[in-house]
Amino acid sequence: MKNLYRPIDSVIEDIKKETSTITTYRFRPKEPLTFEAGQFVELTVPGVGEAPFTPSSNPNVKDTLEITIMRVGTVTAALEHMKVGDVVGLRGPYGKGYSFKDFAGKEILIVGGGVGLAPLRSLILALFDEIDKYKKISIRYGARTPGDIVYRDLLPQWAKMRNTEVLLTIDAPHPDWTGTVGVITVLLEDLPFDMKSAVAFVCGPPIMLKFVNMKLLEKGMDPNHILHSMERNMSCGLGKCGHCMMGEYYICKDGPVLTAAQIAKFEDPF
Amino acid sequence: MREAFIGKDDLATLIGRWAKDHRVFVPVTFDIMNREETPDYELVRDGVPEKLKLHGAALAHTPKSFLFYAREVVAKYPGAKAEAAVEAPPTVLVGPRACDLSATRKYDKVYWSTKHFTEEYDDPFYIEKRERTLIVSLDCTAPKETCFCTRVGGKPHPEDGFDLNLSPVEGGFIVTVGSPRGDALLSGADSLLTAVSSEHRDERERSRRSVTEAVDRQNAKFEMDGPPDKYDLEASQEAWAYVTQNCVGCGACNRACPSCTCFLLVDQPAGAAYERTRIWDTCLSIGYARTGGGGNSRPALPQRLENRLRCKFEYSRDRYGLVTCTGCGRCIDACMGRIDMREAIRHVLTEKAKA
Repeated sequence: MKNLYRPIDSVIEDIKKETSTITTYRFRPKEPLTFEAGQFVELTVPGVGEAPFTPSSNPNVKDTLEITIMRVGTVTAALEHMKVGDVVGLRGPYGKGYSFKDFAGKEILIVGGGVGLAPLRSLILALFDEIDKYKKISIRYGARTPGDIVYRDLLPQWAKMRNTEVLLTIDAPHPDWTGTVGVITVLLEDLPFDMKSAVAFVCGPPIMLKFVNMKLLEKGMDPNHILHSMERNMSCGLGKCGHCMMGEYYICKDGPVLTAAQIAKFEDPF
Repeated sequence: MREAFIGKDDLATLIGRWAKDHRVFVPVTFDIMNREETPDYELVRDGVPEKLKLHGAALAHTPKSFLFYAREVVAKYPGAKAEAAVEAPPTVLVGPRACDLSATRKYDKVYWSTKHFTEEYDDPFYIEKRERTLIVSLDCTAPKETCFCTRVGGKPHPEDGFDLNLSPVEGGFIVTVGSPRGDALLSGADSLLTAVSSEHRDERERSRRSVTEAVDRQNAKFEMDGPPDKYDLEASQEAWAYVTQNCVGCGACNRACPSCTCFLLVDQPAGAAYERTRIWDTCLSIGYARTGGGGNSRPALPQRLENRLRCKFEYSRDRYGLVTCTGCGRCIDACMGRIDMREAIRHVLTEKAKA
């Protein structure tokens, strides 16, 4: 019988530093591993352990996948010592992704914070592949400082796409910054959308999700149209080990993308 | 269901026969400090142990110890094979009680999902062992003071989920066949079996009734009278903090529990390669829900004990359609802080009613 816990050997093909703590890796799995935007994979650093990540590359690219990773713990710190050509493990994909195909014809709002733009990049690239199907794509991204902005070279390219806008903010004033200042919700005051039908995809640190969720609901968005990437300890990815439980939900199976409607009954879901 | 009577000595003979081509585990008493302790499983090696104990209440270990090892290597890498390497020798487990069988239903749903639930991931390590383990269950004949199966929808005697069941009666046991595999365990044993007399049946009914009444009686003070699948234990953190006062988060309750299914994956070097080990985990540890960057959805111990108890009653019900507290009382027996989960539930519900 097939072994669910087996990592697929995957070669590191490229390493690109995004910020002082964030790096994008491109992996080539030795066996097919395809995913939908928003689904996640388990990445093994040999002998150290596994951690869940949502790929940041275009899901329509099949042979390789990219993951943008911030150094926060033992697995991510060990990964920083690895080089191009080294072998890591991957398994997946797991969970439910962004189901963006259900929202063809709608206005799309994408709200990202910090390294939370990584899973959204995968979504954005998938949306761009079928850009004619969406009325509008508005990307609103916040980082702590100008130095913490990821995909610095891609953002201007995205802004040039048809019916697409990119708005940025940083948390506090900075000598190198002339743009908007303030936490991400400052970019959500002005939302020229049909709020009844528009769809929001949100990913970032839990505190950001909390306030973005409040703001979007306050602005009249349909709770079924606010899709959050939930942050939990998805350890097995299979709906078994229990670590990502949130009430009766297993975030690894029922998520990681959950709607504002699904989480409404929890006092503090983020 | 087919039934037969088997004498006490003949059962020992039969168990001896099973041991020729199975690992057979039987309940025995362990005398520690001249005190008869809770019975536990022993592997039958040379003949059936003298201290065989087929009466009383549930054993210390639960079926999960045999179906889902406390520690097991689940992958070796790099170059891991697609097929799982599972060791599962044919095994007969004599001694699980109704509470254990009820908990095994949750294991089946979680780890044999395609057959027993609606999810796609089947765990090869569980399924191989489950398929090769025969369960010979027993009626409880005397509850421990921590037993409360009847208060959570259970009975002290098994009704399904076994291959064979043994009901102790005068001079021997009524054997009930619960599956074709159980039937096969009795093949060639006709000379050891006789018809069940009406006296034996009456005796079994009397015993079952008296144990049920004893469990009900000893739990009356806990007021767990509502239907177990209707519990709503969402209460103030003060209420949960009160019941958590003596909890040190050791996780003994998780390990002792027959229906706790959670695990942790640990990777480490093994020679020139690496191995991934799966070990039983505890939702009471602070690191259980910790995420990258130090986030934690249940940083406080009362939140974690709340999660554990609500998992048994509410979350398992909503996810699997099962209340997974089986009332076996092992979490109470195991708790060094002497937390009685029945008292905890009563306290939480009382405080909730006041609020």
